[in-house]
Amino acid sequence: MEQTNPYVIEMLNITKEFPGIKANDDITLRLRKGEIHALLGENGAGKSTLMSVLFGLYQPEQGRILKDGVEVKINNPNDATALNIGMVHQHFKLIDVFTVLDNIILGAEDTRCGFLMKKKAREKVMALSKQYGLIIDPDAKVEDITVGMQQRTEILKMLYRDNEILIFDEPTAVLTPQEINELMEIMRNLAAEGKSILFISHKLNEIIAVSDRVTVLRKGKCVGTVNTCDTTKEELSSMMVGRPVQLVVEKDEAKPGEAVLEVRNMSVPSKLHKRNAVSNVSFDVRSGEIVCIAGIDGNGQSEFVEGLTGLEKCSGGTISLCGHNIIRSSIRERSKRGMSHIPEDRHKHGLILDFTLEQNMVLQRYYEPRFQKGGFINFEAIRTYANHLIEQYDVRSGQGSVTRVRSMSGGNQQKAIVARELDREMPLVVAVQPTRGLDVGAIEYIHSQLVKQRDAGKAVLLVSLELDEVMNLSDRILVMYEGEIVGELDPKTTTVEELGLYMAGAKRQERRAE
Amino acid sequence: MKDWGYNIGSSFSRVGGGLRSFLSKEGTRSVLATVISILAGLIAGAVLMLIVGLSSENLGGKSAWEGIRIIFGGLFSTGRDAEGALSFGFNSVNMGDMLFRATPLILCGLSVAVAFKTGLFNIGASGQYLAGTTATLFIALSIPQTAMPTWIIWLLAFMGGMLAGALWGAIPGMLKAFLNINEVLACIMTNWIAATLTTWVFDMSNLKNVTEGTKSAYIYKTSFNGVQTPKMGLDKLFPDSQVNGGIIIAIVIAVIVYIVLTKTTFGFELRACGANRHAAHYAGMKDRRNIVLSMAFAGALAGAAASLYWLSGNTEFYWTGAYQSLPSEGFNGIAVALLGASNPIATIFTGIFMSTLSISGLQLRNLTAFNEYITDVIIAVIVYLSAFSLLIKSLLGGKHRRIRVVDTPPPAEAVVNDSGSKPTEATTGKGDEE
Repeated sequence: MEQTNPYVIEMLNITKEFPGIKANDDITLRLRKGEIHALLGENGAGKSTLMSVLFGLYQPEQGRILKDGVEVKINNPNDATALNIGMVHQHFKLIDVFTVLDNIILGAEDTRCGFLMKKKAREKVMALSKQYGLIIDPDAKVEDITVGMQQRTEILKMLYRDNEILIFDEPTAVLTPQEINELMEIMRNLAAEGKSILFISHKLNEIIAVSDRVTVLRKGKCVGTVNTCDTTKEELSSMMVGRPVQLVVEKDEAKPGEAVLEVRNMSVPSKLHKRNAVSNVSFDVRSGEIVCIAGIDGNGQSEFVEGLTGLEKCSGGTISLCGHNIIRSSIRERSKRGMSHIPEDRHKHGLILDFTLEQNMVLQRYYEPRFQKGGFINFEAIRTYANHLIEQYDVRSGQGSVTRVRSMSGGNQQKAIVARELDREMPLVVAVQPTRGLDVGAIEYIHSQLVKQRDAGKAVLLVSLELDEVMNLSDRILVMYEGEIVGELDPKTTTVEELGLYMAGAKRQERRAE
Repeated sequence: MKDWGYNIGSSFSRVGGGLRSFLSKEGTRSVLATVISILAGLIAGAVLMLIVGLSSENLGGKSAWEGIRIIFGGLFSTGRDAEGALSFGFNSVNMGDMLFRATPLILCGLSVAVAFKTGLFNIGASGQYLAGTTATLFIALSIPQTAMPTWIIWLLAFMGGMLAGALWGAIPGMLKAFLNINEVLACIMTNWIAATLTTWVFDMSNLKNVTEGTKSAYIYKTSFNGVQTPKMGLDKLFPDSQVNGGIIIAIVIAVIVYIVLTKTTFGFELRACGANRHAAHYAGMKDRRNIVLSMAFAGALAGAAASLYWLSGNTEFYWTGAYQSLPSEGFNGIAVALLGASNPIATIFTGIFMSTLSISGLQLRNLTAFNEYITDVIIAVIVYLSAFSLLIKSLLGGKHRRIRVVDTPPPAEAVVNDSGSKPTEATTGKGDEE
């Protein structure tokens, strides 16, 4: 990149304050024309706020925004659009029952006497599609196309509006490895054609792979901007967290023992359609190993977990936990028989946000004799126990055990759940997306806790959508595709690409009957 | 809105550390929010009377001023003195009647509050009250005095009323738990079923008051059968009033409800279901059973309200044989619960307050040119404002936000570059989406 290149967008000394909190503190971000600029930071570092300022959703208290060297005022998203700034949101803003073409032109329709001029629009869309290699089917309905094509539709929406500055907000969260590679290619094409890209992410691999420069935010402050070619993953992560972070989970060889969980031909009906969401799933989890169920979101993992933990009823099969068939057991019986469950949605299932931390800590144990006598709660015992967990698992909160959980940070909420579930010392730990939405430090912590459980002879069943997590943490990988287990892989001998093929349904093994 | 909340809260907090910590207490702010709602309601009533008084040739500013004084001090009104001016002082009749009327209000308030705690809106307290009425009157009047001591009849009638209310409350509870039918709809239906059923049951009965001549549309008082709540000495304190031991029983029940909700595992389960049904289910609690139990519990309290009201023995049940209206106690219970922020102990006070207001209404009718409906306006304003009590609370403290700032110490290594404000947790909520 030659230094003479003019900056297309300059955000200078942006300060955005929320009551009591500086979400952005004197942040300067300069975007060069034709570059891919990554914005890296943990949750709560201020990435979203900064982009909202650029998009006109928030007004900064201080600072200026320059477009091509001229100061501009962006009061609302329409101003941003007028300045040719476009954004692909993490959650797509598409209408499911409209066609791809309709979605692209929606809001920017060319009309003559009130009639849509779709033919002209189609020509423009197809030309753009060809120019940038964005393969779409303009007449397919959005609900029928893949997530990757939906994302390409979103990108075409920006291009159709002649946007020059493209913001990608965590674009890879929902994609398979193959789709991620395609997206990277598309982003390079766009940059080569002169578009300027802001790429928001906390995934270091992708940032290293695709970006030209990286700006790192931490706690609302700008830590610095570096050229990607001059830096390493390790350096970026320590800039992001403020201390060196272990990116690879350290663990010894697994020493599996007896089977703790034996699932046979388990099926779970779908809430959406008549077919089974999970059909004929069979596998074992032995003590002392971490088995991971990998797959793209929506392939039956959630339903599988609901069936396994008793949140929903199974339609067939057997689940044997420590030798007892629990397929008809209630949630509490399963929990007593030896199952811990770190749920996927910590706000919906894991915690009662308006209860205090100590109340949440005994959510499954309040009825045990040590916490009650004759139906009356023993508050002292609960507090002692909660304080013990808080200390042992380093759960941080404002007022200790009496803090309302709602006021705690996401990472500490998750730590509280992990503490509660792991302290029950159950032979089986079911952990579903245990690190979703957490920052690097908390992820590191939770991974190490799960490995500790494994080494203590517990059986750990991990359900995850994060490929890094799957590859790093598990001793065996089971891939779930459309409600079936389509492959069993060994993380030491397999590659991310191969895993991706299974996840996308392009490859499957005939599995031996266990 | 929330941003205001913080600003005002922080300006409060600048006043001083003591006041700040006092204000930041959950309980303090709840009470303050309620008091503010009540004052605003009273002031609205006063303003209304002033407008009516000044704009009417017959009334004028003087009557308006009299009305306003009655609204604020009706409980202590002792009528008019020789010169025709309003006089105030201790009035044992007002006081005793107030406590008598407060009894069903407190219990209906508790009924609604218990359901609120489990995340349910019990708009069916009226129907449960009617179910309790029917059962109580039937038992109290049908068992002959000769069969057993009257205190046993009283006890049976009281238990019967609670049981009938509980059954009536359990119906919408079961519909909600097993068929996922909205409890508000089911409650409204069961209210009217209860009304019609009551009409039918009394029509078939021989409990219609035929001895007292013209009063064909009434059911006998329970005292007719010698069944009456003991006075427990309250008649000595407030002579000539309707007061009886019912108010003491109601207060005891409120304390018991408070203990059940806050100190027992059963209460823990109910509150867990109310605060987050999914999490309660995940934790292995029987969320459906808890919903049914909670509604039955609520119904029993409304039934107890009816029992204590009719077992006073000095009130007769108005029954027309054609059309039974829904008793207002059930709906006023919603106001009592809202105003008391669903705290069982607070409902004792809000119930007493609502009852005071109705006494003021009576005084207004008896002593001034205004009528008691002005108190309905005041209650309406108060209920509206108590629904805003959450907003008022956040104006007083902005609790969550403040805690979020003070909370969550950053990892020790990261404190270095932090000077004063910490931007860390501002976007916690957002972060979770990522």
